Amino acid sequence: MAQTTVASEYSSEVHAEPIEHRFNPYSDNGGTILGIAGEDFAVLAGDTRQSEGYSIQSRSMSKVFDVGDNILMSANGFAADGDALVKAFQNQLKWYHFNHNKELSIHSAARLTQQLLYGKRFFPYYVHTILAGVDEEGKGAVYSFDPVGSYEREQCRAGGAAASLIMPFLDNQVNFKNQMDPSSNGTKKKELRYLSLQEVVNLVKDAFSSATERHINVGDALQIVIVTKDGARTEYHSLKKD
Amino acid sequence: MNHDPFSWGRPSDETYGSYNNAIANAGNVSAFPKMNTQQPIITGTSVIAIKCKDGIIMAADNLGSYGSLARFDDIERLVEVGVNTVVGMSGDISDLQQVQRMLEQLEIDQSYEEETSALRAEHVHEYLSRVFYNRRSKMNPLWNACVVAGLSDDKPILRYVDLLGVTYESACVATGFGGHLAIPLLRQKCDFEAEYADISLDEAEKLVKECMKVLYYRDARALDKYSLCRIDNNAEKKVTITKDVRCEDMKWEFAQHIKGYGTQVV
Amino acid sequence: MAGLSFENYQRNQFLAAKGHGVPKATSTGTTIVGCKFKGGVVIAADTRATSGPIVADKNCEKLHRLSPKIWCAGAGTAADTEMVTALISSNLELHSMSTSRAPRVVTALTMLKQHLFKYQGHIGAYLIVAGVDPTGSHLFSVQAHGSTDIGFYQSLGSGSLAAMAVLESNWHEDLDKEGAMKLCSDAIQAGIWNDLGSGSNVDLCVMEVGKDAVLYRNHLTPNVREQKASSYKFARGTTAILKEDIFKLIDVEEETIHSEAMEVDA
Repeated sequence: MAQTTVASEYSSEVHAEPIEHRFNPYSDNGGTILGIAGEDFAVLAGDTRQSEGYSIQSRSMSKVFDVGDNILMSANGFAADGDALVKAFQNQLKWYHFNHNKELSIHSAARLTQQLLYGKRFFPYYVHTILAGVDEEGKGAVYSFDPVGSYEREQCRAGGAAASLIMPFLDNQVNFKNQMDPSSNGTKKKELRYLSLQEVVNLVKDAFSSATERHINVGDALQIVIVTKDGARTEYHSLKKD
Repeated sequence: MNHDPFSWGRPSDETYGSYNNAIANAGNVSAFPKMNTQQPIITGTSVIAIKCKDGIIMAADNLGSYGSLARFDDIERLVEVGVNTVVGMSGDISDLQQVQRMLEQLEIDQSYEEETSALRAEHVHEYLSRVFYNRRSKMNPLWNACVVAGLSDDKPILRYVDLLGVTYESACVATGFGGHLAIPLLRQKCDFEAEYADISLDEAEKLVKECMKVLYYRDARALDKYSLCRIDNNAEKKVTITKDVRCEDMKWEFAQHIKGYGTQVV
Repeated sequence: MAGLSFENYQRNQFLAAKGHGVPKATSTGTTIVGCKFKGGVVIAADTRATSGPIVADKNCEKLHRLSPKIWCAGAGTAADTEMVTALISSNLELHSMSTSRAPRVVTALTMLKQHLFKYQGHIGAYLIVAGVDPTGSHLFSVQAHGSTDIGFYQSLGSGSLAAMAVLESNWHEDLDKEGAMKLCSDAIQAGIWNDLGSGSNVDLCVMEVGKDAVLYRNHLTPNVREQKASSYKFARGTTAILKEDIFKLIDVEEETIHSEAMEVDA
């Protein structure tokens, strides 16, 4: 077909073939999650706003789950996929108990999550997943996953809408990136140390209140779940609602 | 060489000709491809609902639209399931009626299993969310957004599920245009989950009627005739659906003072 | 050459076809409203400016002065609302001087719509124009393509549906100044709380016949940030000093000059 040059706003909308109108099985429901590992604990936090486009669907949807065996899980991104992944995990965990009659360790939980995610390699769960718990040595553990199952154990990780806002703050405040030992006259890096639970909770609160200030998909309320060898407990804090 | 990095690493069209998409679909040998619902045909607009101390108020109008044609004015979009659950649906009407049949079947199957009717609102919601998520995963969605309202242990349950399988729970829930026009009004009375205890059923009913009026003013696919559902924990019969409710006390008189669209005076 | 240049239009279309997105301008997801009352008119706006999902400015000004008693609220592309407002404001002043008359709201409206129509929607300015002039008080809205609307109340922007719901359910014919101010700030708040593109504070401007226009900058501030949990003051020495150089950039020399007293104009 001879292509004529049409200099109009609509020239890009003129198609040689009819356009196929396809159902889009994904959407983005916003929200942000954050996991930090301490010496003998781990926290996993998330805001409770669920949104679609410019509308708030709910101001009070928890997305951090205590899935059992002292494991916290959150899958943030497309809410339906997130829920489906958590449910699939819980179902597998139940069968694990039936078959082996023992608790699932956090590193096994991480490998299971990888299998679940990679199992849908060509129709992925559109989520950023974080697991938090206590490992077999009693140390806090955080595992983070990309949508198709690549994962890594880390000291801290932010996921979801405002991950790019929170992650640099965490690099600096948890892993002391770009910080020198003040007494070393710029010759030694600030030494790494475990943060106390109070320090971690304060960091999480400030990370979320700051993300709320600058990201439209973050807000309403903050759910912080703290896990130790003795179990998990949840606290809620309010965030701005605009 | 093509200097556009977007075409690097791809077989060049100049050498091989453009990609034949039939190759990717080589498995599908039938003459006609399988057709799934790719767009709704007859549609219903918003469903709105609000939780309150003793129950839930929900409403959906009776219009069935065929594109911009107001085709049917007697479509019922509130579906009773069991004794204390109601599902309000918007979107494609044929899919709605299919879901209605599935819910009837669920109720029958459930009654074989247990003597006392144990099907509760959260079970209906869980069932629907699985059905909708599975259908979207097969790329063959049921083109609806549903509001599930009911009572469970004397507590009001109000949840949402749509064609993508996305779910949520809130003190006020609305589908479609209702999410933009009714929710801001409903949230003025009951913004956070905990606040629903502060409003009575009568207050909530007044508010929902006001919202239906605003929707009729501003949603071009809405009708001033609707069904209103009242789920009352203190009543003998928990669920009552009033049909053919009309929008009342509408204001249209101001229109006679408006002339033209700017500089006109007559 | 006068006006905007379109010389790169075809090149951009070509690049877009190759898969390179067209650069996107900063858009203000916004709620703006206007409402008339006996003897005047009120306009109001939220103060959030966004670029994509990021809040670019938490307290920006969306109310612009076209002339001392004609103000307008802008939604759409931030740069366009500011530039088109500045241009029309300037032309309105020149027009007013050459005719020796106070500028009229319909004049501003006509200048705006003719300018915007000329650019066929490429200037993405959506405005609510209001003010008082010798013929009384007026309220209009203008869309980017040049169409205009008239009414007793108006709302525009991404939060316009939330705001319109409040206006539709609470507006009545005999509002006074305080009532109109309350209605406008309630409508803006509906946008602030329910529309993600709107947020922060409420700005308001009241224009009354026979009085100066009054701008209430930050009329309501319902979104003050609370105290942070910790302080993030770094100990001195946290940032390594790798090299230190001190430059003396300014030389100060004092010199007393004895001379006759300076000549000044009488």
